[in-house]
Amino acid sequence: MDADQHDGQPLNRRAWLRSGCAQCLALAAWVSQPAAAQTAEPLPGRFAKPAPDTDEGGIWALMDREETRLRRSPFVVRDDKLRAYLNNMVCRLGGEHCADVRVHVVRTPLFNATMAPNGMMQIWSGLLLRVENEAQLAAVVSHELAHYLERHALEQLQDAKSRSAFAQFIGVFGAVGALAQLGLLAGAFAFSREQESRADRLGVRLMQRASYDPTEAAKVWDNLLGELKVTGGEEAGQRSPMFATHPAVANRRDTLAELAGAGGGDRSNEGLRAVLAPHRNHWLQDEVKRGQYEESLVLFNRLLQQRAEAALLFSRGEVYRLRAGADDVPRALQDLQSAAAMPDAPHEVHRSLALLHRQREDRAAAVQAFERYLQLAPGASDAPLIERYLSELKS
Amino acid sequence: MKTWATVLLLAALAGCASTSIEQVDGERALDDSLVVRVDSAWNKMNLPGSKEPYETWTQEGLTLDHLRFWSGVPSGQAIAQPASAPAGGVAPRVPTFVSGMSPEQLVQLFEVLYASDGSLVTMGRVAPARFAGGDGLRFEFDWVRKEDDVQLKGVGWLAVRQGKLYAATFAAPRLHFFGRLYPQAQAVIDTATVRP
Repeated sequence: MDADQHDGQPLNRRAWLRSGCAQCLALAAWVSQPAAAQTAEPLPGRFAKPAPDTDEGGIWALMDREETRLRRSPFVVRDDKLRAYLNNMVCRLGGEHCADVRVHVVRTPLFNATMAPNGMMQIWSGLLLRVENEAQLAAVVSHELAHYLERHALEQLQDAKSRSAFAQFIGVFGAVGALAQLGLLAGAFAFSREQESRADRLGVRLMQRASYDPTEAAKVWDNLLGELKVTGGEEAGQRSPMFATHPAVANRRDTLAELAGAGGGDRSNEGLRAVLAPHRNHWLQDEVKRGQYEESLVLFNRLLQQRAEAALLFSRGEVYRLRAGADDVPRALQDLQSAAAMPDAPHEVHRSLALLHRQREDRAAAVQAFERYLQLAPGASDAPLIERYLSELKS
Repeated sequence: MKTWATVLLLAALAGCASTSIEQVDGERALDDSLVVRVDSAWNKMNLPGSKEPYETWTQEGLTLDHLRFWSGVPSGQAIAQPASAPAGGVAPRVPTFVSGMSPEQLVQLFEVLYASDGSLVTMGRVAPARFAGGDGLRFEFDWVRKEDDVQLKGVGWLAVRQGKLYAATFAAPRLHFFGRLYPQAQAVIDTATVRP
């Protein structure tokens, strides 16, 4: 189990990216075993639900209550096709254990995934937006499954120091109702470096067993490093203020690459792209609303190298428009015009184009784009403001 | 364990000890610039260690409602508390007012402000409105708060006077509280003027 952390204040952008790195995937010491030997090792059998009067039973009950809350959360993405797709991936990676694992997609534009000992897995939309193919998503899911299969939460619970810290955590936060925040709970119950390394080791093994290309696991880290460097500089990912036990991000990336060897296997992305398509524009706009424009540009540039699509061009154009830096207006114009020319352009692209034309004092183009926007979205909530702009532009 | 407990207890007590609540009524000047008149029960929250560039009032407590005021924010100043830079790095962006911003850019500042912790913010109606004694904007938003999953409704007002930003936002849970408390927030906003 691992999670993003926040304290009720706006999240430190670098911290959440780093926490995603630090907590969700890991790697360290597993370099010596040959890949074939690892892949051949059998997985443990399914776990029985622990007795309620045991330490493990207690934390299962706690997580069951958290899952009940999560199911009602407005942040949960309720999409049967997406859920089925993720469940299939869990079954492919975890075999018979998939019967005991539930995957919940949480709409939050941050990189994070968590696994609870009762089989509750959370994947945040910011992570789904960042993976480039099914193998990269499988790398995250297999790492989380590995925590579950190796019962790391129980190990932590059996450690006296962790148990006392956990008990105090419940005492402090439970009283004010914040216990429901699994992120906080997980933060007080973080895995050790050794456990993270073991989860990475087993995660790669699960990928190999399921015929996913394990070389994609290292790319998840490499991509994340690109965003981390925006605020963290070249040393980004080498320090974690929350978990000193975690290896540096670059080291984990390098070790994962070594573990994967020559790789080979499935890294298709058609299925993933299809199930994410209904959500993609919303999640891209969630990313823009984070207001961390340089990080978003690293992400959007990377994704646009994979495939040019209207929603991505619109999002990058929006970032340029909103950042309004020295050379951002022509960049925004280019992206927004390219997006507008595509058949699946979101209607908001015409609004953004119009605002940009208005800013450039190109009245005719602004009027045309505003009118196109209102034509496509006659009930737009900002119509009164747009009408005022049109009135000013036509006067 | 005792050490942990002591530290946590002291931290909690320190927090409680330095939080203060001040009842506001009558005519009130915020930063000697934005002036409002208060006829209903509002409480000003003074949070320990807060360096937020706005004043926060509440009727039922901060988890249930807040009315925030930004008074005379100069160009180049953030509307939220700037985050610190990590060692060897740069600080994350915070929404910052710049003189000459267009109305929709000003509204976007507040959208980013409320969405910055991973909350879901959906902007609603945006329309010209009177605020702070002159022309301004009024905007509505839905806000699903990340820290507790509560679904809130919010309203904001803003205007730029002599190159400075004046703004206010009110938010409360969509069910029951917004409908009950919004008229009192609007009543305060209706009295807002800017001292010359």
